[in-house]
Amino acid sequence: MWCFSQVKGAVDDDVAEADIISTVEFNHSGELLATGDKGGRVVIFQQEQENKIQSHSRGEYNVYSTFQSHEPEFDYLKSLEIEEKINKIRWLPQKNAAQFLLSTNDKTIKLWKISERDKRPEGYNLKEEDGRYRDPTTVTTLRVPVFRPMDLMVEASPRRIFANAHTYHINSISINSDYETYLSADDLRINLWHLEITDRSFNIVDIKPANMEELTEVITAAEFHPNSCNTFVYSSSKGTIRLCDMRASALCDRHSKLFEEPEDPSNRSFFSEIISSISDVKFSHSGRYMMTRDYLSVKIWDLNMENRPVETYQVHEYLRSKLCSLYENDCIFDKFECCWNGSDSVVMTGSYNNFFRMFDRNTKRDITLEASRENNKPRTVLKPRKVCASGKRKKDEISVDSLDFNKKILHTAWHPKENIIAVATTNNLYIFQDKVN
Amino acid sequence: MEVQKEAQRIMTLSVWKMYHSRMQRGGLRLHRSLQLSLVMRSARELYLSAKVEVHEPEVSLQPARFLDPRLHSRREAEAEAEAAPLDGEQPSPEPMDTQEAPRAQEAPARGGPCPAKVSRKRRSSNLSDGGDVGLVPSKKARLEEEAASLEIPDRLQPSPAQAEGAFPNLARVLQRRFSGLLNCNPAAPPTAPPACEAKPACRPADSMLNVLVRAVVAF
Repeated sequence: MWCFSQVKGAVDDDVAEADIISTVEFNHSGELLATGDKGGRVVIFQQEQENKIQSHSRGEYNVYSTFQSHEPEFDYLKSLEIEEKINKIRWLPQKNAAQFLLSTNDKTIKLWKISERDKRPEGYNLKEEDGRYRDPTTVTTLRVPVFRPMDLMVEASPRRIFANAHTYHINSISINSDYETYLSADDLRINLWHLEITDRSFNIVDIKPANMEELTEVITAAEFHPNSCNTFVYSSSKGTIRLCDMRASALCDRHSKLFEEPEDPSNRSFFSEIISSISDVKFSHSGRYMMTRDYLSVKIWDLNMENRPVETYQVHEYLRSKLCSLYENDCIFDKFECCWNGSDSVVMTGSYNNFFRMFDRNTKRDITLEASRENNKPRTVLKPRKVCASGKRKKDEISVDSLDFNKKILHTAWHPKENIIAVATTNNLYIFQDKVN
Repeated sequence: MEVQKEAQRIMTLSVWKMYHSRMQRGGLRLHRSLQLSLVMRSARELYLSAKVEVHEPEVSLQPARFLDPRLHSRREAEAEAEAAPLDGEQPSPEPMDTQEAPRAQEAPARGGPCPAKVSRKRRSSNLSDGGDVGLVPSKKARLEEEAASLEIPDRLQPSPAQAEGAFPNLARVLQRRFSGLLNCNPAAPPTAPPACEAKPACRPADSMLNVLVRAVVAF
């Protein structure tokens, strides 16, 4: 049973475009939650240490750090503006006191170091406290500067900037399990980087045809396998997923496995090609399965079986008859993400009207919940929602025609260890928790 | 007729969306452009198949840009004539290769930057020959001129990055054709896009649409 925990962001309905959330990601421990927005900012929330007295809820998330990751740029050669929107954030596993994350916009990836400073040196001999140099003649004694506590300051500094490697728009970054390399993928190419080296990267996938007029598909998402450092997958706009092994060759143009489900001819329509495009691909934590999201469904694939998914969950099948309208209002191009829970037993994805859906793989039950400020008292249990596809609408059901297609949940994240989820509406971040007792 | 109108509406809408996407921050999105061109192609095929059913003599068809195996059945029927020689070359795991084979068959003599500009035989001759599938516009000369103007920018641009980034062919052709399309089409989009500089003479919808489809995929 899911309960409201917190909501972050502006209350008013007038949404500033820069505040539109474009990515959400928990770090490896779940203590930190990062969001990126269209304005190029990254906001990191930190979970409070658990309150032993109030054991019925887990710690709240409060703002830990905010920084401007990317600025708008202009490509003078192509006369193109480069948006500052943060497309993806990926955390590095923690190695020391500092935290590191990769954030990317359409063209440039940056490695950020987020570190805490809670003490500062005081008692310099040659400098005053404010930094001005003292007159040397006034120095009569010698003292050793000491560290004294100060108010906690969280600093974010860009440690590496990986630029100029992508002609097309970056859609994915993924850190390798070796924690030394990572990949970045754009529409036609995937590059492999070393975290320490910014002036070059290796191109490992290139699907650009010799003649661009022959282009039929683009890369939509890519991810490294969680355990095998030589394996990664990339999804395409045609609904296929290719698994590649970097040991096979330097340029992984030949896939090791091709995951593709034959199209159901009864579902063939005018817009079939668009809705089969995969918008997100995520490996399970175990590495045994991967999940793909296309416009209407979520599919779970067993890496050992290429010809069809092992599970398919319909997210909002009632939209299939509305594809023409969704094409007109551009909603058919929305790129929904999906995520696994920590134990790989439940998957979650977003929908319209600020609805999001969870599918339990074991019980085969699914639930639709809504992210809304109406339920914003802490520990309010969320009521399951239901969309009435056709015919008589029951009480508490919502008809398809009254769904608000401007309220879409594209980005969701699940705490790696606990039942805490972060759900991003247009400009608000909702945090929900499973009822503990 | 309804089908034809709907298809034409979708085509117009797609062109408008493609034009509008050029105005967006961050430049043309390759994935979005591809999706729009796919819809436009499907709409065009639907439109043309609906037209053929009405037995219009003026119908003009364009050689296939994308011979995707998952096309409508009508396309498959047309391709049956050359299915036999192509079968051996057709499938391969990579979608890219599937496109290569038929084109190589159709246009052996043409090399150069745009091998996709396949033979321009008239449709009537095709049907009688049962040979090349080349479904071409009836207004051959004008299209060749336009094709030449589309080809030239490719050759003039030495760096591929430059060509991809700014999509100059698309820009040029859209500017020339778009206002013409809007003028000819009764189902124009509700909000007019920013005024185009050139105002071309109004052409029959078919050949214009063919050029448009070719233009929008030439990025």
